[in-house]
Amino acid sequence: MNADPAKTTESQGAPGPRRVVEDVTCLLCGCLCDDLTVVVEDDSVVEVRNACEAGRRWFAQQAQPDPSPAASVDGQAVELREAVARAADLLSAARAPVVFGLTRTVTETVRDALELAEAVGARVVLNRAAADLGRVAAFQRQGRVAATLGEVKNRADVVVFWGADPARTHPRHGERYSVEAKGRFIPEGRGGRTVVVVDAEKTATAEGADVFIPLPPQHDVAALVALRLWLGGKTLGRDQTRTADGFDLAPLERLVPVLRQARYGAFFFQGRGPRHDRSGADWEAASRLVRDLNDVTRFVLLGLGGPGNLAGAEAALTWQGGFLQGVDYRLGLPSPLDDLATLDEILAAREPDVILSVADGLPEDLSDAARAHLAAIPRIVIGPGATATTGPARTVAIATAAAGFDAGGTVARADGVGLPVRTVRAATRPSDQAVVRGIRERLRESGVKLS
Amino acid sequence: MSYDLRIQGGLVVDPANDPEPRVGDVWVRGGRVAEPPATPDDAKAARTVDARGFVVMPGGVDVHCHIAGSKVNAARGMRPETQRGARFPGGDGVALRSGTAGVTPSTFATGYLYAGLGYTTAVDAAIAPLGARHAHHEFADTPLIDKAFLVLMGNNHFLMDRLRSGEGAAVRDAVAWLLGATKGYGVKVVNPGGVERWKQGKGGVATLDDEVDGFGVTPRAILTGLTRAVDELRLPHPVHLHGLNLGLPGNAATMLETLRAVDGHRAHFAHVQFHSYGPDDPKSKLFGSGVAALADHVNTHAGVSVDVGQVMFGETTSMTADGAVGHFLARLGGRKWMNLDVEMETGCGVVPVTYSDKNHVHGLQWAIGLEWFLRVDDPWRVALSTDHPNGGSFLSYPKILALLMDRGLRADVLKTLPGSVRRRTGLSDLSREYSLSEVAVITRAGPARMLGLADKGHLGPGAAADLTIYAPDDDKERMFSLPRYVIKAGEVVVEDGELRSGGLGHTLHVEPGYDRGILPALKDWFERDYTLQFANYPVGPEEVANPVRCPAGGGAS
Repeated sequence: MNADPAKTTESQGAPGPRRVVEDVTCLLCGCLCDDLTVVVEDDSVVEVRNACEAGRRWFAQQAQPDPSPAASVDGQAVELREAVARAADLLSAARAPVVFGLTRTVTETVRDALELAEAVGARVVLNRAAADLGRVAAFQRQGRVAATLGEVKNRADVVVFWGADPARTHPRHGERYSVEAKGRFIPEGRGGRTVVVVDAEKTATAEGADVFIPLPPQHDVAALVALRLWLGGKTLGRDQTRTADGFDLAPLERLVPVLRQARYGAFFFQGRGPRHDRSGADWEAASRLVRDLNDVTRFVLLGLGGPGNLAGAEAALTWQGGFLQGVDYRLGLPSPLDDLATLDEILAAREPDVILSVADGLPEDLSDAARAHLAAIPRIVIGPGATATTGPARTVAIATAAAGFDAGGTVARADGVGLPVRTVRAATRPSDQAVVRGIRERLRESGVKLS
Repeated sequence: MSYDLRIQGGLVVDPANDPEPRVGDVWVRGGRVAEPPATPDDAKAARTVDARGFVVMPGGVDVHCHIAGSKVNAARGMRPETQRGARFPGGDGVALRSGTAGVTPSTFATGYLYAGLGYTTAVDAAIAPLGARHAHHEFADTPLIDKAFLVLMGNNHFLMDRLRSGEGAAVRDAVAWLLGATKGYGVKVVNPGGVERWKQGKGGVATLDDEVDGFGVTPRAILTGLTRAVDELRLPHPVHLHGLNLGLPGNAATMLETLRAVDGHRAHFAHVQFHSYGPDDPKSKLFGSGVAALADHVNTHAGVSVDVGQVMFGETTSMTADGAVGHFLARLGGRKWMNLDVEMETGCGVVPVTYSDKNHVHGLQWAIGLEWFLRVDDPWRVALSTDHPNGGSFLSYPKILALLMDRGLRADVLKTLPGSVRRRTGLSDLSREYSLSEVAVITRAGPARMLGLADKGHLGPGAAADLTIYAPDDDKERMFSLPRYVIKAGEVVVEDGELRSGGLGHTLHVEPGYDRGILPALKDWFERDYTLQFANYPVGPEEVANPVRCPAGGGAS
């Protein structure tokens, strides 16, 4: 969606054309705040209203002039068309390509990237850690009792942050959705809610909570199971509340009456296991606890949401390919990614022969084995800053506009609410959607027999 | 002037225009059925489909299914086990996309499978306004068929507040605004007030006159208020109702009371099978059929139409905006459960269900659905539906048609079911058998009329050239499963069971006019309660795939 002209004002005069864009959605974190007002003068961002500090910084950075070329092949600046042709050649020749990323862009791009992936017989690997796949696996085993964030704002008189520290990672979460927010049945805002934090140490969110219970991450599953048992009326002896390494879960029992007496409880959960742990045992335990709580009162389980448009990418992957855990189009039909599903796992298995990254950068914690294979295969990178010369070498790089700044479309919050993404400035680069479509078009024109 | 297409010599079953099937030609020009040629010289068409010996009907129209949006996608995501064994590749030569079938097919598969079945229009019956954007995204990836959705309004805070204060004009304006903002087609009411009760943690049985706490309105007031608004807006489709107490024994009494509550208005009652359970005798705890009295009421009240929500035996996924029903089913089955409460608007529950022919209740549900088809005298008032995928897949429609056309087949199945099914329903007494014309009514002509789609469901001049051509077969299930040709907007999209096109159909929607004076109140409400900006709520025109704005509000289009 382009900026709604009704929502922007332009005026002439010093120091230059001034443009005020309202109702801007910020893609920096999982809050996806959509109430920003961005003021642009002479192509510079001069003011960002309503944003947190990190959001303000992000908008200012996007406005920096980018001297890097529009496109490059093997490190040499080339015309966009040449880079697109080379990308198409690499993909059509590949036997095991991977399309990676897709979370820092709009859903429209994801849809087109899925079509491209199908056409070239690629695996689609969203930029997700194994722990995210654990969340998916738990959903596929248990389902989830959830709500949109407005239900939390309007109804939740008990809010639990379990391993979640929005005050640090999602700065406006409390104000907009979960803590200070006022709602129809919580007119007092913060005063109408009991806020509980369970975390390893006293976090920024815990500082403002009514109840804080320390719990190291490795005991999440045991603690959630114990809560279920207590909720079901079981009595646990001292030997049963002690974990193998001697940690005592007994202090958590005081949460049981708080959870039970909630009129409408919201349980914000962040998996805290090792990033490579994809069992989803923690999410499953949380999910079962919240399900049981619905036999007593109303309770919902939510995540804080990852940055950008992970939820939108997951949704499109599911409606086109049928599998939330990831899709492999190598056989010409969608196969679920079950075993190797993260970029790290797939690269470490030395399977891909070309990788196309759309919108997202590489995960920071790639293993040495994954990095070694990455260096050995052609890499196509499409995204803002793709042609910059820092970082691992790129065979083909195409610089694009940035979703949420000079490229528009729609995104989805982790609770499924869809939002338009407005542009605050005219783009000087093509959108990633246009580039993805360009590659697809090139493949059609060249008549290459695909997959 | 020549024609694009001539469908020659088929047995044309077009009950909207002719009560009896008749051998003849159908002429197509510009995607529409055209007047036949005045002289033999004019009888030239770019393509002729030889339909001699075949049965020609309008394309099928599904008035109630769940094919898009967050609930369907949640089911796909949560239940990969139903898709693993049902994966298929894209097309060679024709631009077809790959996909998954199973209980909740992927978007592309949904379009191909509906078209392959001879259906050219499908209406998703339950989209939350907040989910409209997502639903339109999926529609844009659902090829071949025309799509529309109904917008959930029966638990909307703004509407309930206005109903309490008796602001009928504000209700009407807000309904019109919601339809325009979502690019929806009609008004859906699900368990009016009851979903709000569930969200408040006050589950349990409600009557039409229980007040919704915090809102001061009753389900009756919500239902009648919205029914009135839809009438006043002259929307093409009446209020589409999923009533109270779905699935609960004894709910036939609630449905009868609800039918009486909307007396004098147009109303469509959805998946009535799920609302027609005895006991008639309150002292008896035995679940049974309550169809007879309900069908009598429908037979004598012309403003009411129903779709059945037939249950078929097998694995499926229940999905509903009625969050309380989701919880009920989750407790009953103990299987996985997805729930989504949607701020200010509605709820959602998704639960796996296996309908077993060994199960007394499931057998009753199967028989009760068939009773509905057989007890409503006028086929124009009853539409074929399984409430896909709730009672079963839309792919089971041919099997249902075979049961309706053959009482022997029904008796054969009935014999295999628990004996209580025969004793507690009236199915074995019903000897009616559907004719081809009646089949055409409940699968296309009737649903099109219920939806107010003037150019669908018939083959008169000016109608959309959406047609299905079947090879007659004593095996009716086979006949209706495998149309020989399917034609969409004049283009042959299925030929001898093969897809010939992957083109996109249209998105049908309405935008009734309203008094813009309502906007400040809506904006205030948004800024107080919602978690997104008022300006970011409406679906933009560029987000709707091939939109067709249908007339509403007496020529507001």
